[in-house]
Amino acid sequence: MQSSKRLTILVCCGPGCIANNSMQVYEAFKKHIAGSYLNVEVAMTVECECDKESSPAIKATGCHGLCEHGPLVTILPHDITYIKVKVEDVSEIIEKTVLKGEVVERLLYTDKIQKKKLVKRDEWTFYRKQKKVALRHVGLIDPGKIDEYLERDGYKALEKALKDMTRSEVIEEVKKSGLRGRGGGGFPTGLKWSFAAQAEGTCKYVICNGDEGDPGAFMDRAVLEGDGHAVLEGMVICGYAIGVDHGFLYIRDEYGLAVENMKRAIVAARERGFLGEHILGTGFSFDVEIVRGGGAFVCGEEMSLIRSIEGNTGEPVPKPPYPADKGLWGKPTVINNVETWTNVPVIINKGADYFRSIGTENSPGTKVFALVGKVNNTGLVEVPMGTTLREIIFEIGGGIPKGRKFKAVQTGGPSGGCIPEAKLDLPVDFDSLTAEGSMMGSGGMIVVDDRTCMVEFARYYLKFLSEESCGKCVPCRQGIKTMLEILTDICEGRGQEGDIDLLVEIGQMVQEASLCALGKSAPNPVLSNIANFRVEFEEHIKNKRCPAGVCKDLTAFYIDSKICVGCAVCAKRCPVGAISGDKKQLHVIDQGKCTKCGICMDNCQFHAVRVK
Amino acid sequence: MDLSQIKQETLVVASTYKPEPRFLLAVLQDIQRKYKYLPKQSLEVVSEYLDVPLTKVYGVVTFYKAFSLTPKGENIIKVCDGTACHIKGSMNLITEIKAVLGIDPGQTTADGKFSLEIVNCIGSCALAPVMMINESYYGKLTPAKLRAVLESYREGGMVDAK
Amino acid sequence: MEIIIDGKKVEAQYGETILEAAKRNDVYIPTLCHSEALPGLATCRLCMVEIVENGVTKRVASCSYPIQSEIEVVTDNEKLRRIRKTLLKLYYTMAPNSEMIRKLMEQQDVREFNRCKVDTENKCTLCGLCVKACETMGTNAIYTVFRGAAKKVGTPFDEPSEPCIGCGACASVCPTNAIEYLEENGTRAIWGKTFKMVQCKACGKYFATEEEIAYLYQKLGDDIDIKKCETCRKKANANRFIAAIKAEGF
Repeated sequence: MQSSKRLTILVCCGPGCIANNSMQVYEAFKKHIAGSYLNVEVAMTVECECDKESSPAIKATGCHGLCEHGPLVTILPHDITYIKVKVEDVSEIIEKTVLKGEVVERLLYTDKIQKKKLVKRDEWTFYRKQKKVALRHVGLIDPGKIDEYLERDGYKALEKALKDMTRSEVIEEVKKSGLRGRGGGGFPTGLKWSFAAQAEGTCKYVICNGDEGDPGAFMDRAVLEGDGHAVLEGMVICGYAIGVDHGFLYIRDEYGLAVENMKRAIVAARERGFLGEHILGTGFSFDVEIVRGGGAFVCGEEMSLIRSIEGNTGEPVPKPPYPADKGLWGKPTVINNVETWTNVPVIINKGADYFRSIGTENSPGTKVFALVGKVNNTGLVEVPMGTTLREIIFEIGGGIPKGRKFKAVQTGGPSGGCIPEAKLDLPVDFDSLTAEGSMMGSGGMIVVDDRTCMVEFARYYLKFLSEESCGKCVPCRQGIKTMLEILTDICEGRGQEGDIDLLVEIGQMVQEASLCALGKSAPNPVLSNIANFRVEFEEHIKNKRCPAGVCKDLTAFYIDSKICVGCAVCAKRCPVGAISGDKKQLHVIDQGKCTKCGICMDNCQFHAVRVK
Repeated sequence: MDLSQIKQETLVVASTYKPEPRFLLAVLQDIQRKYKYLPKQSLEVVSEYLDVPLTKVYGVVTFYKAFSLTPKGENIIKVCDGTACHIKGSMNLITEIKAVLGIDPGQTTADGKFSLEIVNCIGSCALAPVMMINESYYGKLTPAKLRAVLESYREGGMVDAK
Repeated sequence: MEIIIDGKKVEAQYGETILEAAKRNDVYIPTLCHSEALPGLATCRLCMVEIVENGVTKRVASCSYPIQSEIEVVTDNEKLRRIRKTLLKLYYTMAPNSEMIRKLMEQQDVREFNRCKVDTENKCTLCGLCVKACETMGTNAIYTVFRGAAKKVGTPFDEPSEPCIGCGACASVCPTNAIEYLEENGTRAIWGKTFKMVQCKACGKYFATEEEIAYLYQKLGDDIDIKKCETCRKKANANRFIAAIKAEGF
C-alpha cells in the first residue's frame, strides 16, 4: 500500500464514516495511545504528529471509499484494514495489532466474491479493479498536513510547469492528454484553456466548480475534504497557463468540512509559496478565494455559478458568449469541476502519454463514481474509463443485496437516465452513456432492484428538478411542472391513455428549447425510463397497478401461502401491526390497516410477500 | 430581541466583508448561521450596507435553499431524500415523522421543539435511509428506530440509534 | 457579412442577433419576451430557429444568438413548428385568458390543452420584462422571487414596495397585460400602493404620478419638460418641428 515504515493508523473520516462515528473512533485511538501505550512523551508527540520514527501517527483521512463498511481503519506498515470499527474495538486493536502486529479476525472484511476474509485492503475485490488517479491521495494522507501532500510529489507539477515549461506547452500537454471535463459535459479541458488564453484582456479568472448538487453523489466532496492541495495545484497550473492571477473556489456551504479543509489548504499553500505573490520565486502570482454556495442545484451550471459568485440569483444567461470569452464580471474565465482539477497535476507530472494510457481513446483517464443504492458495496469508486457497468456493479459493487434482482443503473443523476440489464456490458465513457440517453454527469451511479418503480423514480427526479430549476425560461419551468403533474397522476392512479406520448412530446421540446443545460437534460430521466421500461408505465395507466409495489394507490401486498413459512419477521417489522398469523403458520395482511410501506416485502427473505 | 439589537448585530456581521454587492450571499449565510433564519431587519441592513436594492436581496434570499425567513425549531430534523435514500424508503420516514410530530416538511411543531426539512443528499448514502437531527446522524432507519430517536429528543436527551 | 435566412441571402453585422437580422429583412419570427428597448431576456423560447454553423445543425433562440460566422438559418420547419406548438400548450396552462397567448395559439394552430391544470386566474408568463424595465428605470421596486415552479414576480415580503414610484413601466412592457393597476379619480393603484397623479398642463389628462415626476427631475435635471402628457408633448414637438421647417423657408 505504501512504503513508509512508520507505524500509522489511518481512520477514515469521509462523510459516510463520520456518520458512523469515525471521529469518535479517531479520538479513542488518540486517547488510548496517549493513556496506555508507551508514555506521556509519546502522547505529546501524538498530538504534534510524531517526529520519532517509532511512535505511531494517527491520521483522520478523507474517504477510503467503502462507506458501506465504515468506519474503516488501516494500520501501516502491517497493511491491515478493519471494517465497522467501534470505539469499543480500539483498545483491542492497539493491544494486538499496533503493538504485536497480530490480526483481529472478527474485524476483517469478508470478500463475498473471493469467499474469504482478507487482511490487506488491496486484495479486496472492491479495490482490485479500481485505479486511483483523482483519488490518489484521498484516504492516505491527512488533508490538514501539507507535508504529507509534498511527500507524494505534491506541487512538483507546479514547479515543473513554472520552471521547465512555457505557458503554451502546459496547455498543449493538457490538450494532448485528452482530459475531458468531469463535471458532466465532457468538454475537452485543454481546448477550454486555449480559448481563455487566446481571449483578449489581461483580467481573467479561474474557477473551481465544487457545487456538487446531484442527489446521490459525493465525489467532489471526498476530494475537497481529503486532498484539497491537488485541486489547488491544478488551479494554479491553469492560472499560469492562461495568464491569470485570481481564482475562485465555489463550494456548497453544506459541505462544512470541505470548506474548512480548503481554507486550511489555502493558508498552508500560501505559507509555503505555492499560492500568492511570486510563486516559487518566479514572477508569477496567483491566489484563490473561497465562495460558499447558497444551495441551488442550478449553480452547477457554469453561467449560473458565475452569476452566483457575482452575488446574484443563480440564473443562467444565454450562451454564446461562453465563459472562456465572457465569464465572471464579463472577463474570460476558465471553469472546471473539482475532479478535473485534480487530474491536472498528474498530467503535468507524468505526461499526457501516461494519462492517455488509462481509459479509452476518446475518454482517457479514470472516473470517480458514487456507487449507491441497492448494491452491496456502497461507496466511492474510481475506475479507468471503459470499465463495464457489470464490472462496477457486480465485481466492485459486489452485486445486489438480499438476493433481489438487478433492474437498472441510473447514471448522471437528474440529468441522466436509467440503463437496463441488457446494456450492462456497456463500457462506461462520456460517449457511450450519452448514446444510451443517459450521461456521465458528475458521477452518481445509483443501482436499483425490482423494488424500485421506474415511474416513481422518474417522478422523483422531476420533483427534484421542479424545485431546483431556476424558473427563468418557460420550457424548463413549465415543462417540468407539467410533466411532474402527469407523472404524479400516473403514480396515483389518474393516468390517462396518451400520457406516455404526451410526456415524450413535452420532454423532447424541453430538451430542445430550454435555456441552459439543466433544462436541456431535465427530461432525460423520464425519456430514458419510458424508452427502457415502457411496459411499467402502461401497467400503471391501463391496469392501475404498480408492479414494484411502490406507488401506494396502486399497490396491494399479499403473502403467498405456498411460500410463507410463518417466520413472523414481517409481522414484527410492520410499523402499523397490519400482519397477523401464528408461528409457523401462514401470515395474513390486513388490507384495511396496511399503509403500503413495503417493509414486509423488503424483509421477507423467502420472497413470500408479493404485489397483487 | 429588540429590533435595534438585530440591526446592530447584523451590521457587525456584515462589516467583516467589504461593502461590495458580490458578498451578498456570504453575509446572508453568516446571518442565517447566527439566528438560524434571516430577520427582516437584517435584510434591510444588508441592503443598505452592500448597496443592493432590498428587492434583489429578497429575491436572492428566496432563490437559495440555504436561507429561511421564518425561525426554526429547537431541533432541526433533516431527512435526506437523496436518490439512495429515496429508493430505500425515505418517504416512509416522512410519513412516520408526520404521524409522531404532526408536521409536514417545512413546518415547525407548535411547541417549537422540532422543525422538519427534506434535504438532498448528505453524502452518507451507505447509511440510507438517513436523517440528521442538528449535527447527529441516524442511519439505516426504520419507522420503529425513528420513533425511538424522536422520543428521546422529546424528552430533551438524545440517543445513539445508529 | 452575408448569412442565409430561409434560403435567402441577407446582409448581417458581426455580433448582432439572428432576430435583429431577420427583422431587418422582414422575416417573421414569433416572440413574446422580446422588446427592442429591453432585448436579450431569452426566456420565452418561442423564437427558436434552426441554424447550421460550422457544419453543425442546432436549434437556438434567435433573440440572443449572436451571428459570428456565415450561418444558414431556417425559421420554420416541421421540428420548429412542433417545438412552438408544444410550448404554446404550456403557455395555455399558464395564461389561458391572455389575449396575446390566444393570438399566438391561433397563429400556430394550437388548440386548447386541457390534460393538465389550467390556471384561469393567471396571465403572467414570467418573461421578466417588467423586472428588467423596473431595473432599467433604476427604481428596483420589483424582482423575481422564489425559484422553479414557485417563481413569481413580486415585492419584498409581498408588501408594498417602498421604492415604487408608480410609473407603470412594468405594466406597459408586459406582453400579456398581467400587471394590474387601477386609475381613477386622479390616482393610480399598483403593487399595493396608491399614488396621486399629475394633470397634463395642456389637456388636463392625468398622465403620471407625483413620485414619477419627482424621480425624473431628480434623475434628469430640472430643465426637462415633463409637465405635459406624452400626446401633448408629441404634439408640441411636432408643432415646433413644423415651425422650424417653415422658418428654414421650405
